[in-house]
Amino acid sequence: MNDAAETPLEPTENDDLARLIEFAQIVTAGRDAMSDHIVARVAKVLTEGLNLLDSVTRNSGLMRLFQVLESEDSQALLIAIADALHQAGRDIGGAEPAAGGLGSILRTARDPNTQETLRALTTFGALVSQSLRTQYASD
Amino acid sequence: MHILVVGGGTGGTILANNLARRLAPEIRKKKVSLTLLSASDRHMYQPGLLYVAFGEMSVDELYRDEASLLSSHIDFHVDPVETFRLDQNEVLTRSGQTYEYDILVIATGSRIVPDQVPGLKEGAETFYTEAAALKLFQRLREFEGGTIAVTVDVPHKCPIAPVELIFLLHDYFKLRKIRDKVHIKYHYPIGRIHTIANVAKWAKPEFDRMNIEYETLFNMKEVDVENKVVRSEEGTETNYDLLIAVPPHRGMAVIEHNQLGVGGWIPTDRYKLTMDGHDNVYVLGDTTNLPVSKTGSAAHFEAEVVAENIAAVVKIGSPVRDYDGKVYCFIEAGHDRATYAMFDYSNPPDLKPASKPMHWFKVAYNQMYWNSVRGLL
Repeated sequence: MNDAAETPLEPTENDDLARLIEFAQIVTAGRDAMSDHIVARVAKVLTEGLNLLDSVTRNSGLMRLFQVLESEDSQALLIAIADALHQAGRDIGGAEPAAGGLGSILRTARDPNTQETLRALTTFGALVSQSLRTQYASD
Repeated sequence: MHILVVGGGTGGTILANNLARRLAPEIRKKKVSLTLLSASDRHMYQPGLLYVAFGEMSVDELYRDEASLLSSHIDFHVDPVETFRLDQNEVLTRSGQTYEYDILVIATGSRIVPDQVPGLKEGAETFYTEAAALKLFQRLREFEGGTIAVTVDVPHKCPIAPVELIFLLHDYFKLRKIRDKVHIKYHYPIGRIHTIANVAKWAKPEFDRMNIEYETLFNMKEVDVENKVVRSEEGTETNYDLLIAVPPHRGMAVIEHNQLGVGGWIPTDRYKLTMDGHDNVYVLGDTTNLPVSKTGSAAHFEAEVVAENIAAVVKIGSPVRDYDGKVYCFIEAGHDRATYAMFDYSNPPDLKPASKPMHWFKVAYNQMYWNSVRGLL
């Protein structure tokens, strides 16, 4: 108990000094390892990164896209697209080659999936056209 | 409102990008148009030339396509101006186009004119052009001993450069282990070793430490190329084995031809940065006649003020700021040490001891310059 009472609760001056010396040694070691070329390369990457970020943030289209993509609806669409890509890759890779010929085309046209696809594409196309007309009309 | 910027160097590029940011809404709504005219499709980082001369940067690092640096809101043309018709608020370019403006910014820079000193062009090396910097690099590599004379004409781009050259020469030959075979003599045209008093005060003991001979009040008169002698107006002369000159400078020829300023230096209000007698014409960078250093740094700080003021004129009808003469210059004090000089109209520089981290800051800035000209830093 006496030992515990005598154990200092605050770091001693020597402990702080030792830590400072360690820190200074790390800084010196880092400094010795550095070269002009390392500094120039890192600076170049940071410079180009900042320029790229500047270009992105000044692109009103990209920023609007990020905003839209943040919405729950957009995330659901992105998940649907991602899942579809994954499954479609497997389905296409596992399917027999198309037989060809007019009969095959007619079968494809009658396939509900074909109509689903056309409906999705026409909906998307119509909305893009509408947005473009609105934007150019305001110029 | 049509804003026309003439000159695609540091000042003009920073100004145009800064304006494009500040006036983006107005430009999108077509209430403001912003045009930049330049004589070149390339932008050069001129401070890098000294590094090229000492083999520390390659030439390709100095250039970027000007168009790649500019905001899409800027209408950029490589079509140098040939005629300024300030009374009619228009300029005429080499291609024959006429550009009208409501606000004009002239940022045409300066050029070297070694022909002003007989024999200088033939007899002296310099580092103020790409070709000259590369040639100087070769001459330094081949130099095995003798006297190197450094001469300076004022005003010139980058006032700190002559002092930096001396430090770099000293360390260069030390690294080659032939410093004892090289005698370096520095010549300066006024009564101290630098126009900025505090830089002269800081550099003098460093020159003494490095065993640099110096002669002040040496205004170049002529170079005797055959006998390798440089002579001064004051009647003195120095024999040399290698002559490195900071040559005379003038504003661009187009400024002189249009009689906008004697020597190509346009009379400019030191606070408003407007051309004397023309409130809708701003001037920035080397081509002003301001009592500040001709440096990219000065052009940068001037561009910030001019951009803010032009944007304010567009938005609220009145400028909002004065230029305080601010300049910030790195000073390479050798192979791996640097310091900096920051000063303005009211406060002279207070130079700190040179250090390695400061040198690294400069090395980093050689890259970060490409953020500066985009108006980011």
